[in-house]
Amino acid sequence: MKPAPFEYHAPETIDEVTGLLAEHGDEAKVLAGGQSLVPMLALRLTRFEHLVDVNRVAALAGFARENGTLVVRACTRQRVMERDPAIAAAVPLLARATPLIGHFQIRNRGTVGGSLAHADPASEYPAVAVALGAELELASPGGARRRLAADDFFVGTWTTAAEPDELLVAARFPVWPARSGFAIEEVARRHGDFALAGVACAITDGRAGIALFGVGSTPVRVRAAEEAWLAGAPAAEVAESAVRDLDPPADVHASGSTRTRIARHLVERAVTRAQEGQRVAG
Amino acid sequence: MLPVEMTVNGERRRGAVDARRTLADYLREECALTGTHLGCEHGVCGACTVLLDGEAVRACLMFAVQADGAAVTTIEGLGGPDGALSPVQDAFREEHGLQCGFCTPGFVVSVTALLQENPKPSETEIREALSGNLCRCTGYQGIIGAVKRAADAR
Amino acid sequence: MSTSTAGRFVGQSVKRREDPRLVTGHGRYVDDVVLPGMLHCTFVRSDVARGRIVRVDTEAAVALDGVTAVLTAADLNPHAGEMQPTLLLATPGAPLRPLADGDVRFVGEPIVLIIASSRYVAEDAADLVEVEIDTDPAVIDVEHALDEGVPIVHPELGTNLGAEMEFPIAPELEALLAGDNVVRRTFRQHRHTPVPMETRGVVVEYEPSVGELHAWMSTQNPHEAKQAMARVTGVPAHLVRVEGHDVGGGFGQKFFTPREELTVTLAARRLGRTLKWIEDRRENLIASNHARADVAECTFALDADGRLLGTYIDHIEDAGAFPVGATGGAGALVGLLFTGPYKCALASLRTRAVWTNTCGRGAYRGPWMFETVAREQMVDAAARQIGMDPLEWRRRNVIPTAELPYTLPTGLPLDMVSPSETLEQAAEIIGYDAFRAEQRRVFTEEGRLLGIGLGLYVEPSTGMMDPMGTETAVVRVNPNGQVTVALGTGAHGQGIETTMAQVVAEELGIEYDDVTIVQGDSAVTAYGRGTGGSGTAVIAGNSCRNACAVVRAKAIEIAAHVMEAAPDDLEIVDARIAVRGTPTRSVAWSEVARIAHLETARLPEGMEVGLEATATFKAPPFSWSNACHACTVEIDRATGVVSILRYVVSEDCGVMINPMIVEGQVAGGVVQGIGGTLYEHFVYDDDGNPLTTTFMDYLLPTATEVPTIEYGHVETPSPTPGGHKGMGEGGAIGSPPAIFNAVADALALVGAIIDRTPLTPDTILDAIETQA
Repeated sequence: MKPAPFEYHAPETIDEVTGLLAEHGDEAKVLAGGQSLVPMLALRLTRFEHLVDVNRVAALAGFARENGTLVVRACTRQRVMERDPAIAAAVPLLARATPLIGHFQIRNRGTVGGSLAHADPASEYPAVAVALGAELELASPGGARRRLAADDFFVGTWTTAAEPDELLVAARFPVWPARSGFAIEEVARRHGDFALAGVACAITDGRAGIALFGVGSTPVRVRAAEEAWLAGAPAAEVAESAVRDLDPPADVHASGSTRTRIARHLVERAVTRAQEGQRVAG
Repeated sequence: MLPVEMTVNGERRRGAVDARRTLADYLREECALTGTHLGCEHGVCGACTVLLDGEAVRACLMFAVQADGAAVTTIEGLGGPDGALSPVQDAFREEHGLQCGFCTPGFVVSVTALLQENPKPSETEIREALSGNLCRCTGYQGIIGAVKRAADAR
Repeated sequence: MSTSTAGRFVGQSVKRREDPRLVTGHGRYVDDVVLPGMLHCTFVRSDVARGRIVRVDTEAAVALDGVTAVLTAADLNPHAGEMQPTLLLATPGAPLRPLADGDVRFVGEPIVLIIASSRYVAEDAADLVEVEIDTDPAVIDVEHALDEGVPIVHPELGTNLGAEMEFPIAPELEALLAGDNVVRRTFRQHRHTPVPMETRGVVVEYEPSVGELHAWMSTQNPHEAKQAMARVTGVPAHLVRVEGHDVGGGFGQKFFTPREELTVTLAARRLGRTLKWIEDRRENLIASNHARADVAECTFALDADGRLLGTYIDHIEDAGAFPVGATGGAGALVGLLFTGPYKCALASLRTRAVWTNTCGRGAYRGPWMFETVAREQMVDAAARQIGMDPLEWRRRNVIPTAELPYTLPTGLPLDMVSPSETLEQAAEIIGYDAFRAEQRRVFTEEGRLLGIGLGLYVEPSTGMMDPMGTETAVVRVNPNGQVTVALGTGAHGQGIETTMAQVVAEELGIEYDDVTIVQGDSAVTAYGRGTGGSGTAVIAGNSCRNACAVVRAKAIEIAAHVMEAAPDDLEIVDARIAVRGTPTRSVAWSEVARIAHLETARLPEGMEVGLEATATFKAPPFSWSNACHACTVEIDRATGVVSILRYVVSEDCGVMINPMIVEGQVAGGVVQGIGGTLYEHFVYDDDGNPLTTTFMDYLLPTATEVPTIEYGHVETPSPTPGGHKGMGEGGAIGSPPAIFNAVADALALVGAIIDRTPLTPDTILDAIETQA
């Protein structure tokens, strides 16, 4: 189980990265933490002529608070989200979601941007980004930048709205007001596995976010359920609304109906917990 | 071939590698450090776990060239001189935390990293920290006992 | 019965001698072996379950830089000797072959062998081989493989029935089975696979000028590998050497010498090159032997008080296409052992092994454990049907110790076991009655689903099948008194270097640190059975004992001569041979060894120089061990997730050599059973495509999925000299039905029924929903 040959690039600036992506097009792939990409290369499920390793791009590391936004640069390791108290203070959901990702050895290497750009519909960060209303910042060759709402970024399984020559450089998470409540719940076959179903949710005065994961081809934002929640509907009703239109995929781990049943339960639990959190915070 | 230079168990290693050569294969074949084992080569079993600048990572999920400039510690680098066992290694022996021994290097490296960060883990924390390493022989019971013993010995 | 027989070393939890090298990364596994000029192998495998090979184009692969050879069936198959294991040379089985020839019979079947400068290059070459296969309908569903009009997996054999055993049904039993007081259920156990953490692998060196073949292999059985390699290559057996060194688990998968190892060995012989093949994990999952995959319709006939009067089991095992080892051998024992530890006068059975276009079945820790799965699940189903608690049913039906020996209705003689004691001990440790009360309370008050399950079994380790029942030990005393013992075993985690040294030190009265075990090398050990089938403690242990007895007698004779004492008055205590009752009159063990080798003039007249012995032990037809597993679970009604709350094993493996190792074996087996029941499932689609080909999909339990295991021990010595019994497999035998029964018990609170594994959220939620 060995990867096929590729040409390795280790640029040090964002411009160099986007330049390489522009030059090699579909034959190039960004290598961040490698915790999803390298297994696929080793299994020869995918192959690229060029790997563009972004781990040496200094401008992609770290995070910063910009007014009401937590800007997490793309190559920041997941372990930073887990360990740094500044993350838990600014975006609690990010800190709580992180321990659910794989195992600590994976999070030592895995990156925030890598997980978002990989866009696995069963992974946690995309759902967190959608639930919180995060924006994703993309860089193009020549230095142009654009921001996309997380809602618009995830378009399908392992597929995003980023162009082949665009690089995800940061995720911008809004810092929700102090009187907010958050919860993330998931059921996986084993600890650390991709979720059979999961939900990330957040609530504050006048605003709610609920995103399901593992139950569709992208994180699934359930606006009707959000509205019901804001309107004060009981958790069970919010949950019923959240799963009403779901049609989750089946695989060897669970049928679609199992995923729906689990999702309904998790939404009910998460919504209840988030409300409790909001009450305590207020 | 790409030049690569790293510190492995305190020794500086220079060489040239194919870009696609994994760190695990580099350590096993170029450095002859065969204690880093390959149990799945797709990042699940944890047998190839090493310390990269002090943090536990899967050596099968990195290319050797990516470790350029880094300090790598393998299972062979954890013990004392003259074959003395590290506290974690000793605890594995005392608590029967291994049978066939194939997964053991990955567990010992992971546990070493865990105890550096969290010297007194609870049982739940121990189990979660171990969940990234697969063992097929012990049922994990001896391994969990070994982590507790190593933590107590600190 | 439960007397302590602990000695100075036997019965002590001696720390393992293997560990220092293994915890420091200095073990030597097969992939660590690097030889000059060594080339690397990979296989191109079929991605079709059944079909005709139309074209194999290797041209581009051959042309790739670094590729030495690209071999197909035409290159190797005509040169291959017999590929069946020694055990089965006289038994018809699947038509084994090195590489697929003309057709393919399961996804993963090797078609082309590539030999290159590195595994990386070999895989590049594999990508360049073009294989065109005309796909035919495949036989995947074992329950319909014998139906009219179903394709034949092996055209040479003309039938999909691989093996069959059927007992006549006595008229009394027939009447019972046709009566009203019967319980009938069909249980299905899904396919899973052993998954040692070290995959299989072999390094083979063949030097044409010398004619010797030397292999390093991840094997449980170096002598079998040597015989098998000699047969397949035609190299005389005395010129073949197989070394095992450290082996990263096997669980049965490495007991025989599988197809890929034999194919690579044959290629090394043909090419005269040194070859390495290290199986990767995907190959291990799709093409190393699978296991379990059973279905049986079971019938219990009861009297009015719930006593078992008669049983019938109609069992089918999925043999796959190319089983490794026995075909249908497991099924025979499923039938023969079905009544297990319960009194029952009448039984009959039919067992069939059936070919399918799937990966071959092979040994896995308790290969016939479905007898326990089916029986213990039947017991709970029967108890539930008649409204009796399953523990009470077992108490009523278990064979009382006072009634041993007991002849099973299939004729097997059961003795020296303690099923009743282990049942009571397990029930007591887990607090059976208190749990029942708690279960009712939390269900009534909170609606939560708790359950408790038992798994009771007796397991024979047998000396009936040659060559698996015999081991030979060579005990050599060096001139300084230290002892080297050679065994034909193939340790792969059992700690044989430790336990056998304990036995020898105990028997010779010398220090444990003065005994070394050499094993895992066919060249320096006598022909032996290897390690598997729960055999080492009994068979290797007693061969050590027999050899030690000879050595000890000679040492005492020498000491008696030197001290001018009568041999009968002497004993060995703490490495001195002393006059019994007069410890001051003694001679050191090391002095006796020195005399035997270096001062031979002081030996009794006519005595042969030296101090060593070779002795063999042939196991009795049956030595039984037994255990009772008990566990409690909670089911999350909303998610279908099963959590194990407590897990208890009360076991009787006779005299324990090393309790620490015994408990480690039990824990490992139990967790494999937990994995097999709740998580691990090897899945094929209807066309025979495997869907669980990585560790992302084939789910092994981790530290977060398993409970702490609590132990109880009962010690009924076996009738063999050391009093030991086999115990390596038991953990994996008792656990699946205990977990199943606990889950079924919890589901029964809401009237839900399960009849198959794995117990995934799908299975649980469907059962609850169906009932609702």
